[in-house]
Amino acid sequence: MITILSMILFFLLLITGKSRGTKTFVTFFLSTFLIITYIILISLGMNAIILALIVCILASCISLFMLNGYNLKTLSSFISIMIVLVFITILTYTIGKLSNIQGFSSDSVETIGAFSYLINYDMTKVIIGMYLICVIGTIIDTSISVSSSMNEVLENNPKINEKELYKSGMNVGGDILSTTINTLFFAIISSFIGFFMWHRNSPIENIINHKVFTQTVIELLLSFIASILIIPITSYISSKILYKKDLIKDE
Amino acid sequence: MKLRIKLILLFALSITSIIFVYNDYFLYSTPIVKITNIEEEKHDNIKEEYYNQIITGIIQNGKYKDNVIEIKNKTSKSGVYDEQIHKNTEIFVELSNNGTIANSIIGIKRDKYIVILLVIFIDLILTVSNKKGIKSLLSLLVNIIISIISIIIFKNNYKSINILILYLLVAVLFIILSLYITNGKSKKTLSAIISSIISLLISFSLSFLIIKLFGKDISFWTMEYIEVIYDYENFFYVSILLCGLGAIMDISITISSALNELIEKNPKIKVPILIKSGKEICKDIVGTMNHVMLYTCYSSIIPIVFLALRNGMIIANAISFYGNLELITILTACISIVLAIPISLYISIYILKGGRK
Repeated sequence: MITILSMILFFLLLITGKSRGTKTFVTFFLSTFLIITYIILISLGMNAIILALIVCILASCISLFMLNGYNLKTLSSFISIMIVLVFITILTYTIGKLSNIQGFSSDSVETIGAFSYLINYDMTKVIIGMYLICVIGTIIDTSISVSSSMNEVLENNPKINEKELYKSGMNVGGDILSTTINTLFFAIISSFIGFFMWHRNSPIENIINHKVFTQTVIELLLSFIASILIIPITSYISSKILYKKDLIKDE
Repeated sequence: MKLRIKLILLFALSITSIIFVYNDYFLYSTPIVKITNIEEEKHDNIKEEYYNQIITGIIQNGKYKDNVIEIKNKTSKSGVYDEQIHKNTEIFVELSNNGTIANSIIGIKRDKYIVILLVIFIDLILTVSNKKGIKSLLSLLVNIIISIISIIIFKNNYKSINILILYLLVAVLFIILSLYITNGKSKKTLSAIISSIISLLISFSLSFLIIKLFGKDISFWTMEYIEVIYDYENFFYVSILLCGLGAIMDISITISSALNELIEKNPKIKVPILIKSGKEICKDIVGTMNHVMLYTCYSSIIPIVFLALRNGMIIANAISFYGNLELITILTACISIVLAIPISLYISIYILKGGRK
């Protein structure tokens, strides 16, 4: 089944994008492989948070430099992503440690019942790592959209000043924001109907404080926060880097 | 000046709501206990350490408010299935014997963390993009309300309603309302709405057909909450339908606003040029959009596959047991993203250019 779907995806990408389509397909499977390798390595006992940060850096390299090429646009995106990653790691770590959302709830007892729970590995770290990997895709997407449209603006009006360039980045960011929020909302919420069916007779106060509900809502909110935070940072860094390049070219 | 007042107001509102959620015990009917002291007894198992805790805490609400109470809890280092309770954690308990004995811990009070993140999110979106931020928030709110209503309709009639048909209708409603709210009434919005609906229908029927034809080897038993879902096959189709929905809307609004921009700047622009520049724009989005889907959805398999591997399951088995359904959902979402491009391109050109001939 997976092979058939992958082949269809590859075929469609090839028709619409030619060589670029092949690249997309290759990076897509490289990323899948990256996530699987991550799970294998942490199951061998490595630190899940540090490894997740390495995965995020590699993922940004794959999406930015392999898919979009190495240039000033992708370089400024890369720097911005690293800055946002620092903020998000601090936020995720604090919330993850405090809110007791590690592991599984009694809902999944059927699924995990066959396993031993004594695995000698702190599940809090696993869930923090999961959140970091979850948000990296949307940070990359928003960042590259902002920086490439800023580059476009600069190329069309070379006389624009640095402040206006920053403003145009923020403007584009605002436009992308609503669709990004929609994309994330549906992608994360799509597996959530089952939860509500299971708890259809529980009072609302139990649902709001439930482990699975909190896990999903925190995941959603963290990705929203990350995709907003990246906009001003990318606008600022890109306006600095792209503008400097333009000055150098003029001289 | 006006902006400053708005910011101060926003800040005050944020602080108030956080203080409120830290003291909202009166809203709950279940007794809440705030932990003041923990005595731990460490045990060494062959595999890992676990602790027997005797917890002391004060009841915060209800009839037995301010009573001091003792509870026993067992916790382990890894915390796969137990609750790790620390000082100041607030827990829900079941009381008996006039509020002097706590039978069991029902759960942990987690609402404050959701509210803190929600406040950060709203503050950020309003400071980064003021007007557009409000629109995005509004469309998000509408989507949440529609989701809740649809879930209520389904849970009350789950034996008679076909979940797939219900959610196909809901998906159309999602598309119309969220595109309308964020982009206003215009030809651009109309073309985005029509192309989203058509892309959704075409790509969904394709995925549906492929899975019906070749998907006999799909095992649904690892699906979460399968015990309460009678119609699990249709339920799986619903998650496929919803997963790519946002992405399809993203593609179609991007294409229709870009083409609208081009046509407005040069009303005499030829159709082949429009097609070419539309394709150029999409080349940039498709790759990263596929990555968004992959990282956002595939990351959710990490805990369960991790647990399986820690228990000595073979990697290939663990991934195909717990990751296959997720990967199928992601791949179909990616297919709909790629399909949405030509569909939105031609529909947008037809609608935007058609009226000007």
